[in-house]
Amino acid sequence: MSRASNPLPKPEYAYGAARPAGSTYLMGGCGIAGVMALDGSTISGNRIGSMLRTMGERENGLGAGYACYGLFPQHLDEYCFQVFFDDEEIKKRVEEFFKDYLEIHHAEKVYSRPVQTMTPPFPKIWRYFVTPKPGKDWFGNTQLAQDDFIIQVVMHVNSTMNGAQIVSSGKNMAVFKGNGYSYEIADFYDISRYSGNLWISHSRFPTNSPAWWAGAHPMSVLDWGVCHNGEITSYGVNKKLVEMNGYKCTVQTDTEVVSYIWDLLVRKHKLPIQAAAFAMAPWTHEEIATLDPDSRKLATWLRIAYREAFLNGPFSILVGRSQPEITLIALADRKKLRPMLVGKSPDDRLAFCASEECAVRTVQPDAITWTCNAGSPFIAQVGKGIIRAGIEHPFQGAKQ
Amino acid sequence: MSEKTDRPKRMETRLPEKFMPTINYNTCVQCKRCVNECSFQAIDVRDNKVVPKGGCVACGRCIAVCPTSAIEIRPLPSQFPPHGNWTERMRRGIYAQANSGGVLLSSCGTDEPYDVIFEDILLDAAQVTNPSIDPLREPVETRTYLGGRPGRIEVCEGEHMKLCGGEGPIIEMDMPIMLGHVSLGSVSYNTQKALFMAAKELNIIAGSGEGGLHEDFYVYADHICSEVASGRFGVNASYLKNTAAVEIKVGQGAKPGLGGHLPGEKVTKLISETRMIPLGTDALSPYPHHDIYSIEDLQQLISVLKEATEYGRPVGVKIAAVHNVGAIASGIVRAGADFITIDGFKGGTGSAPRVIRDNAGLPIEVAIAVVDKRLTDEGLRNRVTIAAGGGIRCSADMIKAIALGADIAMVSTAAMIAMGCRVCQQCHRGLCPWGIATQREDLMARLDPEQAAARVVRLFRAWNEELREVIGGMGIDSVESLVGNRDRLRYMGPNPKIAEVMGLKTVGEGWG
Ligand code: SF4
Ligand code: SF4
Repeated sequence: MSRASNPLPKPEYAYGAARPAGSTYLMGGCGIAGVMALDGSTISGNRIGSMLRTMGERENGLGAGYACYGLFPQHLDEYCFQVFFDDEEIKKRVEEFFKDYLEIHHAEKVYSRPVQTMTPPFPKIWRYFVTPKPGKDWFGNTQLAQDDFIIQVVMHVNSTMNGAQIVSSGKNMAVFKGNGYSYEIADFYDISRYSGNLWISHSRFPTNSPAWWAGAHPMSVLDWGVCHNGEITSYGVNKKLVEMNGYKCTVQTDTEVVSYIWDLLVRKHKLPIQAAAFAMAPWTHEEIATLDPDSRKLATWLRIAYREAFLNGPFSILVGRSQPEITLIALADRKKLRPMLVGKSPDDRLAFCASEECAVRTVQPDAITWTCNAGSPFIAQVGKGIIRAGIEHPFQGAKQ
Repeated sequence: MSEKTDRPKRMETRLPEKFMPTINYNTCVQCKRCVNECSFQAIDVRDNKVVPKGGCVACGRCIAVCPTSAIEIRPLPSQFPPHGNWTERMRRGIYAQANSGGVLLSSCGTDEPYDVIFEDILLDAAQVTNPSIDPLREPVETRTYLGGRPGRIEVCEGEHMKLCGGEGPIIEMDMPIMLGHVSLGSVSYNTQKALFMAAKELNIIAGSGEGGLHEDFYVYADHICSEVASGRFGVNASYLKNTAAVEIKVGQGAKPGLGGHLPGEKVTKLISETRMIPLGTDALSPYPHHDIYSIEDLQQLISVLKEATEYGRPVGVKIAAVHNVGAIASGIVRAGADFITIDGFKGGTGSAPRVIRDNAGLPIEVAIAVVDKRLTDEGLRNRVTIAAGGGIRCSADMIKAIALGADIAMVSTAAMIAMGCRVCQQCHRGLCPWGIATQREDLMARLDPEQAAARVVRLFRAWNEELREVIGGMGIDSVESLVGNRDRLRYMGPNPKIAEVMGLKTVGEGWG
């Protein structure tokens, strides 16, 4: 299906890196798709592009994006910043700030090309490979771990330097996103140029807010990338949790908060992935009562201690990360109000996740597919295969 | 002696009556039940005929017992010349104080017509993108925990994941409601028994009040939060251990800054034993705890109580909502409290100086919001449970209180009303004709604990059902996702500054 010849009406506005005035909350319906090479081979951007495009009914041209993992094997130890700038002036300011705090190992313009159906202005998009400057404190704080230092830099730029947005900041990964249909964004970045071990992607159908480039998914902090279809009715509560832990909600979408919660629970609090997933989409108390005593206790305390991490409302989310291993996680809300299908190729080389079956079939007609239990994550890792199908006992299945 | 000195020393002003029982003699059968039931002696018998006498407080008891519905209580028109400034209330106060020379006492929370901010707040509802949830068909959970929260837990991996650290004493409740502290002494034995029975039946917590705990009530221990007030009445090791949680009472919404006073007449044998004080003596709890003059002192008492209860119970602190409540709450969490109870200025009580009751403190709506915000800003909100009360009248108030930031709605007056209280505001006189706020054996017997408990149970079951309907309608399937979710509220009142302080958007503002 080519929408290029007959595009849906476009909104008149198109925002760059600067958040539209008064826009504090963006959400939507959306299509999501992910594909991973379990054996460590690489997958071309074309494949994810066609998966996402197949679900054209799930978007309305107000945002799409892709994240690729295993993308920069030659820069494994460096954080890759992909940054949107509104103009040269803010770019210069941000770069000066970077120089104060970061070693910049390499900088380059991210390839993009004009797409006839997309309305300018487009942000200027740059890529920087960086590491924290040795011995540099963060406003007097000398105790920050490297990852936390990077988060501070990202939050600082995104919240205080208007006209600039760091849209991804992880190692061995990058996010390509913008305001347009999935095929337009794929075309704009020419994602066929890239290949990696894991792709996650998203196309938006927002319901009550305008779109802007940095507001598109995936939302990313460090190497976490999150694509989300749904509306988190507990957003106000979830936001409190991340703010209490020092994250600043700069993009202020519910998806941004989800990426911070993964970072907090798994990287900082060291919860196993499925324990974190349980906190985000817990079983009901009635279901918890049916568990064995140890699991019951764990489940209860996950609900008590991480009450603010509970993502209430309809959602399906795809999560990617590259540290310590390239990992794909798929999770649907505890009532399964949004679709999420997972699958694999018959030869066990590829794993898939998507909102709809057609997205998987279009690239792997003979795929074996299934759906996960509500609140139960599907987890796959490069080199290890599918380590959790999403139908196991809540606290069994995967080791990180 | 001169004529002058013969004059009366004291000139009592007789105040005009406010209410008058009106008896319909066409239907009155002269059974005289009303005469016996009126503990305020406002109905008399003259020439074998029931007649009004004066002193009616509109408690409604006579109406309830009259077999032929022959009684009507009429508010009398004001007998004061109208004046916009010197209101009747002002003048009555002056006459009463000129008569007595004392502090004016009253009960049941302020009756001044302050704005109710709850009524200026509107709730959200789910639409297309976040579907609503029908609680009749799908689970909508209201289980709530009272106690400290660890902020993080440790999970050990192995064959099977396990909890490896972080848990502490916590109380599970079936709904986010706590029955507020009403002490034995301010209310009758039967009243307290009914409250404890209801708490057990509902699987929630009821406050003991500051009067200690009668041994008969140890059977309800799992559903009682005991109070340690400045007077330390009834506080001993077995009291502390025979309850589910312990709460240090620093302040109370109906009388912020003040202690407690139970008049000697109310200190019967039962009360004297429970409170561990001599029969017939006034039970005066001092304003401050005489071992708490700083936050460090509070920290010490919290530690002592935790030690005394072998770290087996959550220890909380109750404060009245005052202007700096956010910072105070933050200090309390840092001092180690597992839960904080905030009591708003419309809180009820059995006896309070009117001047304090009507003029000191903060509306609970604002207090909850600022405490929740302050604790969030300081990264402490996930360490503590917040109970809030003082002016929660219905499930809508409770739901809004939760969305503003309270985990638990603390409710007392509504429970008393469910038992029969007509809010006549005479509790301090110990003559409660409904057997609630009295120690007089004959009056006390009027309250059947089983029936009163059943009424309280039905009331809160209904509220909980309404809570489930409302949050389901918001697309939320468990109440913890409502706590502090101010995003789902909008302000429609007259004062945008209040909305700002409470962190509320105003009506018409969308997400973005
Ligand atoms: S019982 Fe109550 S309402 Fe009736 S006359 Fe006495 S005080 Fe008035
Ligand atoms: S408890 Fe009794 S005395 Fe107090 S207000 Fe209610 S009815 Fe009146």
